[in-house]
Amino acid sequence: MSTVHVPSTIKITVQRYRPELDDKPWQQAFEVPYHFDLSVLESLNYIKDNLDSSLSFRWSCRMAICGSCGFMINGVPKLGCKTFLRDYLEQGHITIAALDNFPIEKDLVADISGFVEKLETVKPYLIRKQEKPLSEGEYLQTPAEVARYKQFSQCINCGLCYAACPQFGRNPEFLGPAALALAYRYNKDSRDQGSSERMPFLNSEQGVWSCTFVGYCSEVCPKHVDPAAAINQGKLDSTLDYGLNLIGMAGGK
Amino acid sequence: MQTIKTDVLIIGAGGGGLRAAIAAAEANPSITIAQVSKVYPMRSHTVAAEGGAAGVIQDHDDVQYHFDDTVSGGDWLCDQDVVDYFVRHATEENMRLEHWGCPWSRKPDGRVNVRAFGGMKIERTWFAADKTGFHILHTLFQTSLKFPQITRYNEYFCTNLLVKDGVVQGVLAIDIANGTFVTFLAKSVIIATGGAGRVYRFNTNGGIVTGDGMAMAYRAGVPLRDMEFVQYHPTGLPGTGILMTEGCRGEGGILTNTDGYRYLQDYALGPETPIGEPKNKYMELGPRDRLSQAFWHEEKKGRVINTDRGTAVNLDLRHLGEAKINERLPFIRELAKSYVGVDPVYAPIPVRPTVHYTMGGIQTNIRAETPMTGLYAVGECASSGLHGANRLGSNSLAELGVFGRVAGEQAALHAKQADMPQMEDVQDQVNEQKARWLALRSAKGAENPAHIRKELADVMEAGVGIYRLSSELDSTKEKLASLQERYRNIGLNDGTNVFNTEWLYAIELGFLLDVGEAMVHSASGRTESRGSHQRLDGFETRNDVDFLKHTLAYWQPGSAPKTAYQDVVITTSQPATRAYGDAANKKGS
Amino acid sequence: MNRKPYQQPQAATWWFKNHFYRFYMLREASSVPVFLYAVWLLLGLFRLNQGALEFNAWLALNTSGVGQILHLVVIAAALLHAYTWFQLTPKILVLRFGNFRVPDEWVMGGHYVTWVLVTIGMLWLAITG
Repeated sequence: MSTVHVPSTIKITVQRYRPELDDKPWQQAFEVPYHFDLSVLESLNYIKDNLDSSLSFRWSCRMAICGSCGFMINGVPKLGCKTFLRDYLEQGHITIAALDNFPIEKDLVADISGFVEKLETVKPYLIRKQEKPLSEGEYLQTPAEVARYKQFSQCINCGLCYAACPQFGRNPEFLGPAALALAYRYNKDSRDQGSSERMPFLNSEQGVWSCTFVGYCSEVCPKHVDPAAAINQGKLDSTLDYGLNLIGMAGGK
Repeated sequence: MQTIKTDVLIIGAGGGGLRAAIAAAEANPSITIAQVSKVYPMRSHTVAAEGGAAGVIQDHDDVQYHFDDTVSGGDWLCDQDVVDYFVRHATEENMRLEHWGCPWSRKPDGRVNVRAFGGMKIERTWFAADKTGFHILHTLFQTSLKFPQITRYNEYFCTNLLVKDGVVQGVLAIDIANGTFVTFLAKSVIIATGGAGRVYRFNTNGGIVTGDGMAMAYRAGVPLRDMEFVQYHPTGLPGTGILMTEGCRGEGGILTNTDGYRYLQDYALGPETPIGEPKNKYMELGPRDRLSQAFWHEEKKGRVINTDRGTAVNLDLRHLGEAKINERLPFIRELAKSYVGVDPVYAPIPVRPTVHYTMGGIQTNIRAETPMTGLYAVGECASSGLHGANRLGSNSLAELGVFGRVAGEQAALHAKQADMPQMEDVQDQVNEQKARWLALRSAKGAENPAHIRKELADVMEAGVGIYRLSSELDSTKEKLASLQERYRNIGLNDGTNVFNTEWLYAIELGFLLDVGEAMVHSASGRTESRGSHQRLDGFETRNDVDFLKHTLAYWQPGSAPKTAYQDVVITTSQPATRAYGDAANKKGS
Repeated sequence: MNRKPYQQPQAATWWFKNHFYRFYMLREASSVPVFLYAVWLLLGLFRLNQGALEFNAWLALNTSGVGQILHLVVIAAALLHAYTWFQLTPKILVLRFGNFRVPDEWVMGGHYVTWVLVTIGMLWLAITG
């Protein structure tokens, strides 16, 4: 353990962009009182309440489950509420910016509307050929069957994986890690019968084949969803679907 | 200025709002539904609920037991017709979520598993590990995508209800990204905006939980009911207030004080149950109000632990073992590691009571109707009469399903026979309110709204906490009145339109102040002790003669609220002694 | 409307930004020497077909100083590519037997074991055959 000087205050650089006043982002430095538990989110709240009330950023739950406060922190996509200043004392500086690859609405607020639209397009709900009446109880699902999709159902839609994905940065039309993992989550759910409806966009140019398995999305995912695994397992399904189509046996198109 | 017409408008996109939207779309597929929320749906605070959703499912359980637990848990302030309806429909709503894909935790045979929860006689809490709210919210959001009738207005901040002759006409809202006003005209409006825990300093709630819907209804003349009943959850992390689910205790976790002693046995919850063998309605599985009160007494006795983050007791899960903690409580492990540096596999988690839930809210009846025609409310923002003076854990997630559906269906039904409101009927209100909010945005007073917000939270914590005194309630009233005065003199710096959160926070602060006033004035008027409202100034007992009644708080422009009372609906369960542990058996219940 | 979202450009040097991206580019780039070496081997076959003289000249190029250095480069690239491939396989090859999920290390280990066995087999063929 190296000993690090514990400061009374810490310097934080925040990227600002005020669309009505600025043409491009710029940096603003703040001095914030330091304590051991100080998270990046709390430091931003301190700045807003005491130093510059015009700073805008999203936040809510403070416990890494609502997915609001994703930022680039020293160039790495992270959740502000789960990132602590104590881990940056040795680096000596901390810079907070809006998530990469998204348009910036204002300051640290990224425009995530396109991302949310992608989530909405992958048919992320159970599709049944025949619904079972509620009175007949639950669709049975063993713990082993739950385990097949559970990991992929943990996504909090924070968008860190999109900030980490160079393919999305290059091509904003790419469905991207979270949306593809979400589609895969339903495809792997034993209660679902809709994978053939999801195949067309999984197979499409903006689907799984736009992924080159950089893998950084899984590295930055705060919930260990491992979207890269979902996408590349999805490639297997896509290949299988293609093969079955060739011999005219697939259920979908 | 943009005007949007819709049959049904829902403010909020959490569990209650989404369930209502789906119900309305299913009830009448030809209507249009606007889901208006200040945040994207998956940010809504339902996401942070952990433990589970109640619904009778085991063969040896019965809805009558669930009814009895809920009514006694609420210290007989529940409307029993509402409780009855709720317990009869909770299971089917949980089951519906299963059919929509909710990843409920399962038993080896593939059936849904249930866990024990505080104040519940039999295990009936459905759970998805310890992220139940997260999974319910995402399931509902994703399922709502199947309905093209539902249009989502994400990041639209509602500021006012529009009303004509006692009938709701729609909502005035700010499109946050543009900073422009939008008028929504709607035949039916459902408020589903969640609670107001941010009135307090230490709470389990997200930053968005600012009582917006409550305040909008209140200002429009709808009473807020039972606002004195604020639930302190006994196990939040010191410092942040982050929630450690009751599921920890449902799975067998124990609470110990600084001596390692399971102090709950001293507070009519014992006798002590063997470690690793939790017994329903005993010890750690008592109700939240009693457990939080027990902490208060332990603190007075100096038997709590002093940590860097404040006083606490220990929530010990070590005997559950790593495998069970990873299966049932993985999120708790992650949170404890991140926010207090404790791995519960190896060390107990420091916890203390923190504000969690507002039992009170917008007055509604069994059909989720408010006293205002066309206006409905559901979820934490509503006072449906379900929770009484103290909510049992896992009843609120189930409530979202049951009364979310009711609200959606009723709103769709009302929209079918109501006429579409006309802009000229609300134009004056819109102009007036818009001017008022724009004036706030460019206000140049001397007060910093952030400081008022902090003072409000501290004052409420000190004066309207776990135990209340008339002297403290009186001084809190005065302090809130002075904060209201200072609020009228705030100054803002960011005059721009796009994503001006300073402006939104200032509007929210106004909401918080009004809701806080409703809480303290309601508490002041209730000179008895019941459920989460406990007094130490000569009113330490329950008084059914005078106070088997709901408190109604009415907003008064520029002055303190007026309070009135409404009878509680009693059907089959007459008020009796509320007892847990062996004491409950002695009285023969 | 007042919005004016700022479009963040992706710099041509994006891959230089962090270790993860750089290693990814190295992984992708390592396929180039492997590809070129495959072409080179094909050329050797072609030369063999042309006659002993031509083939021996091709062999001489292989054993020259430069040839040996290039072989080391190709081996390094092939090893890196194989290593990264094996690292990624457990993400795609998920084997479950009831509640048991085959651990990632086993999937990776299986690949390494197979690799060693195949190498030994080929060496044996080369030496004895």
